[in-house]
Amino acid sequence: MSADLVLQLIANGVSVGLGYALAAVGLALLFGILEQVNFAHGELYMLAAFVVWWLVQMVGLPYPAAAALAIAAMACAGVLFARVALVPTLDRSADAAILATLAVSVILQNAVRLVFGATPHSMSTPLEGMTLLVGGVLLFGQRLLVAGAAVVAFLGLTLFLRLTSIGQAMRAMAQNKRACVMVGIDVRRITGWTAAISAALTGFAAATIAPLFDLYPSMGGDVVFKSFAVVIIGGMGNIAGAAVAGVALGIAEALVGGYLGSAFKDGIAFAAMILVLLVRPHGLFGRAVRV
Amino acid sequence: MNRRALAAVVLIALALPWSVGSPYVLHIGIMTLIFVVLAQSLNLVLGYSGLLSLATPAFFGVGAYTAAIMALKLDAGGAATITAAAAAGALTSLAIGVPSLRVSRHSFVIVTLSATLLLQVIAGNWEELTRGALGLPYVPAPRLLGLAIEGKIAWYNLTLLFAAAAVLATHLIVSSPAGRAMIATRDNETLAKAVGFDVVRIRLFAFCVSGAFAGSAGALYAHYITFVDPGVFGFDFSEVLLIMVILGGAGTLWGPVLGAVAFTLLPEILRVAPETRSLIYGFILLGIVLYMPFGLLPWLSGVSRRRAKT
Repeated sequence: MSADLVLQLIANGVSVGLGYALAAVGLALLFGILEQVNFAHGELYMLAAFVVWWLVQMVGLPYPAAAALAIAAMACAGVLFARVALVPTLDRSADAAILATLAVSVILQNAVRLVFGATPHSMSTPLEGMTLLVGGVLLFGQRLLVAGAAVVAFLGLTLFLRLTSIGQAMRAMAQNKRACVMVGIDVRRITGWTAAISAALTGFAAATIAPLFDLYPSMGGDVVFKSFAVVIIGGMGNIAGAAVAGVALGIAEALVGGYLGSAFKDGIAFAAMILVLLVRPHGLFGRAVRV
Repeated sequence: MNRRALAAVVLIALALPWSVGSPYVLHIGIMTLIFVVLAQSLNLVLGYSGLLSLATPAFFGVGAYTAAIMALKLDAGGAATITAAAAAGALTSLAIGVPSLRVSRHSFVIVTLSATLLLQVIAGNWEELTRGALGLPYVPAPRLLGLAIEGKIAWYNLTLLFAAAAVLATHLIVSSPAGRAMIATRDNETLAKAVGFDVVRIRLFAFCVSGAFAGSAGALYAHYITFVDPGVFGFDFSEVLLIMVILGGAGTLWGPVLGAVAFTLLPEILRVAPETRSLIYGFILLGIVLYMPFGLLPWLSGVSRRRAKT
């Protein structure tokens, strides 16, 4: 196989992988701060994708405005989500939060199915069909936007967690919830903030990635499948680990898809996840360096 | 449950096909009984071992496909297909359980869901074996002891036998030393380890029996409905099962049976469209998790206690 093709496969893998990382960052953040696994993550992504699609194709807004509006709407949805499912289960067993978010995922999926129907939709963006040739490697416009969005999201989130007082309170909560209560941090408010930021990041991911694929109410399943793999491989709750795992998964999929055929691609995420769990149960980057 | 109540339940269950001849009622009865087996499968893991698993549809689906493929391609009899389906369910549970039962609770739930999603993808893509999304139609009736199980009454009696066996097996397991070990690891994992229980092995045993139950339920389903498609791995099953087991009372013998009866009957009585049904189930699941995590009966007694106080 020629060097050019390998280079092209790796470039594809990196751009797809940055998309995986971007789609998973909200899940990693929520677990990192609250230690709650959000099983509605895929459905939040799906909801955001449908909001963007509706604003672009039905209302007729320009794509950037629709994306911005959808991200803002998702932040609000995140606050509501925290009220309904995350805050009431904060002090309960891990299973309570999982079951509550599972219930929300079922509600969202079926509500969207009732409103928009089960037939797939698609949307077009100004970047569609745009290509860029760099040193023999072909890059696609919308894919570049996703890659840029991933970099912006990870840098922005890191700065937010380091520099703002809300971000510091979130990190404090990740370390010790009970101590937070003692020093006067409103745990419920910070939970709301965490969910809002997580949902907004998921909205950001959906707004940039969703135009590449068809939209349908059960699309969240595919997203959550890859996101769970990324988060487990990177170490649960480790945000930087999720970024590395996402890119690594993207490259692995592109190479295997290129050499063995795309039929084997879907199993890689799962196989890698099981392998990591067997060898390093806490993920490649463990818990020690999280958030 | 005391002897008299048990006798009443058995009598009603046995008398149903003779008193109500309607095929529609019998069909609901058969589906209820298949769900009793599935609910007991989840109950062993969630109720008695304290493990939240979303893999029951994986065992069920593998069992359904195993039975369908054996009956269609190998012309195998009912005893062979149902036994093989139970074994396939148990093997699937081992394959999922060995890597995931050693890790954190969060990872365990994630792996069980991911494995189910992956099996659905495989069933949808392995077209030589499963015909992909088209599914496998015309699964023949099982032959047991030289008799083909055909007609609603025969099916009702067969599924009743399996449901009763599942309840009895669950009862025998949870009152055996192995079952007490399961309950001990559920109630206090650290203490159970300290007194020398091999927690992973005990949980693997529960998971394996659960896999065999759900696998045989899958075989019954495949033969009865005569059609299997990747939808058998669907999350809808997990959702309904969780409601049945938790609302009925996880970790009790008859609670999940009650839940299975109630939640196969209710949608038929209320006659709601499938999409709306799933939506309503979502709200019910959320309500259960937030307000009655120990099931309906403790919640009701709690309500009456609060009312008595005021």
